[in-house]
Amino acid sequence: MMTEPNSFFQNRVRKRTIILTFFFFLWFFGLTLRLVQLQVIEHGRLRTAAVRQSQLKSKIVPERGTIYDRRGKILARSFPTPSVSYIPSEEESLPQKLARIEGLERVLELSPADLKRIKARIEKGETFIWIKRKISPEKAEQVRRLGLSEITIQEENKRYYPLGRLAAHVLGGVNIDDEGASGVELQYDAKLKGVAGEGLFLRDAKKRHYHREVLKPPTPGQDLILTIDETIQYIAQRELERAVESHGANWGAVIISHPPSGEILAMASSPGYDPNDFSAAHPEERRNRAIQYNFEPGSTFKIVTAAAARESGLVDFTDTFDCSNGSIKVAGWTISDHKKMGVLSFSEVIIHSSNVGTAMVGQRVGPENLYRMIRAFRFGEKTGVELPGEEAGIFHPLSKWSGSSLASQSIGYGISVTAIQVLQAMNVFANDGFLVPLHVARETFDFSPSLQASLSPGERVISGETASDLIEKVFEKVVLEGTGQAAQVEGFVVAGKTGTAQKIDPATGAYSARKHLASFVGFVPARKPFLSMIVVIDEPKTGLHYGGQVAAPVFQEIARRVLLCLGQTPQFDPAKKVITAQLRENISR
Amino acid sequence: MVRKRHEKKEIALAAACSLLAIAFLTFYIWHQAALISLGYQTSRLEEKIGQLEEEIKGLEIKKASLLSLEKVERIAREKLGLVEPRAEQIIYEDFRLINDDD
Repeated sequence: MMTEPNSFFQNRVRKRTIILTFFFFLWFFGLTLRLVQLQVIEHGRLRTAAVRQSQLKSKIVPERGTIYDRRGKILARSFPTPSVSYIPSEEESLPQKLARIEGLERVLELSPADLKRIKARIEKGETFIWIKRKISPEKAEQVRRLGLSEITIQEENKRYYPLGRLAAHVLGGVNIDDEGASGVELQYDAKLKGVAGEGLFLRDAKKRHYHREVLKPPTPGQDLILTIDETIQYIAQRELERAVESHGANWGAVIISHPPSGEILAMASSPGYDPNDFSAAHPEERRNRAIQYNFEPGSTFKIVTAAAARESGLVDFTDTFDCSNGSIKVAGWTISDHKKMGVLSFSEVIIHSSNVGTAMVGQRVGPENLYRMIRAFRFGEKTGVELPGEEAGIFHPLSKWSGSSLASQSIGYGISVTAIQVLQAMNVFANDGFLVPLHVARETFDFSPSLQASLSPGERVISGETASDLIEKVFEKVVLEGTGQAAQVEGFVVAGKTGTAQKIDPATGAYSARKHLASFVGFVPARKPFLSMIVVIDEPKTGLHYGGQVAAPVFQEIARRVLLCLGQTPQFDPAKKVITAQLRENISR
Repeated sequence: MVRKRHEKKEIALAAACSLLAIAFLTFYIWHQAALISLGYQTSRLEEKIGQLEEEIKGLEIKKASLLSLEKVERIAREKLGLVEPRAEQIIYEDFRLINDDD
């Protein structure tokens, strides 16, 4: 009685178990098939889709190196700044995407051109679109508050130039991607920009970043120290801009260097620009006239003729030249002085900048000697200063010289030079006949403001005797009693040379009587020079046009201020010629 | 009776083992939680350091901008009414003749 129901019950349970096992097996089999389909058959496609949806590899831009002046003042530095980008969702329709961007129009002040660009990229189906780059943190916060899922804010480096227009032409500028576009930013781009790293962003289903992993850390760019001195640069730039404005000139350029080391302490070009807004600056404003403009130098080039005369031994300081006619005709080309000067010694020819006398000196020197000297001073080739776009000037080989070339080149015509070439040539005299290359960047990371002579003496161009004789007997006197008197600096002996070059009028193709290029190149003190400088002013329009009237006063003002700021005490008291001493209390009164 | 005593011993041993395992697991979980918490704290501090370093850099840029000679001169002239000294107002304490060097 007891076994029958038990047996019935056990059979029923067994049947149910078999059915359940069967269904379970069926379910498991189906599940296995599905897993095989997902994990084996469609593995590749699904894995790619999953990775694309959940991961985003991106470049980590390294921080660009900082640029300092010689005293450690920051001239250029990069700083993280927010940028807004859009990663369109595949699920959204085109009108939805466009509506999303229009939602940002007011906050980001998007221009119609910006909107057009963004819409075109959305229509093209691009997966990453910049909406607006390098915006203010306040604007970024406003965008964040909108809570738009596909809009991301990421940080990029923006280049800041805290001193604005100061040394703009030396620094240059960068483009929107923080790449060097001109100046030392371009020259040292590889060093400054560093090496990019790689990062991996993990995203959720709504493409929001929830984790960032650095796959390869970026290597920051190296810092750069310039030889430029912020204070000297400020003085040079301000005085140059004043002169260009007061004379109604087209442009102007000033370079200041320390002759024994070849360090450039200031390089200014007017008109200028603000590198913080590099792309908005006009190409003419971005042009560094100190190195990127060829011009006929006129009388400043007589320093080369004088050097050739003395080095060849063919002209003595006391040799005389008859300039009483006021003009001379050479191979159909008339060379004239601004007034009849009578009979002049070789020294006086240069001191008073007689074109007639210098042409006669050139003829005595001869084409071979003059050509050799011009080459020795490295005209016709780039100085090699570490700035891009330097011009080499125009200097024809001796075989291409015409009958008038000797006379014209003796007085600085028929040859084109750059301001930096003329300064480099003048530095040869300041350095006892050695050519010390000019440079704007320091090789070592050193903030020492002190000025020390270069370790390598440079290449000899002329003898020390020629250099010192010309300084003492000619270039000092140019400033003391000649055409460069406006360059005198109280308490210091200045050596220099003025230049006034007539410019060719493009309309007539002939030298214009109204268009001039005024210049002055010199150094101070004349013995053991501390600084050398060239000032070039193009087409002064206020009546004054001679180098001695327009450029020499700029030299004087800059030199006076720079010597003061460098703590250089005057070598003599021009009024008393005695040592004076004052109590400190008196200074404050 | 013997069997019953043996069971009690086993139960006690099992209970002790369980307690030990629970204690070990508790300690391990607490340790892990503390580590994770410290990790978060470190991460937050590193983030803060990064932010402060950026802030320092930003302030250095601002300082350089505020100390630009153009701004200093403008303030000196316009706000403080300072003027440039005339040549005769400049007095040199260390005044030497050029011949002194020779």
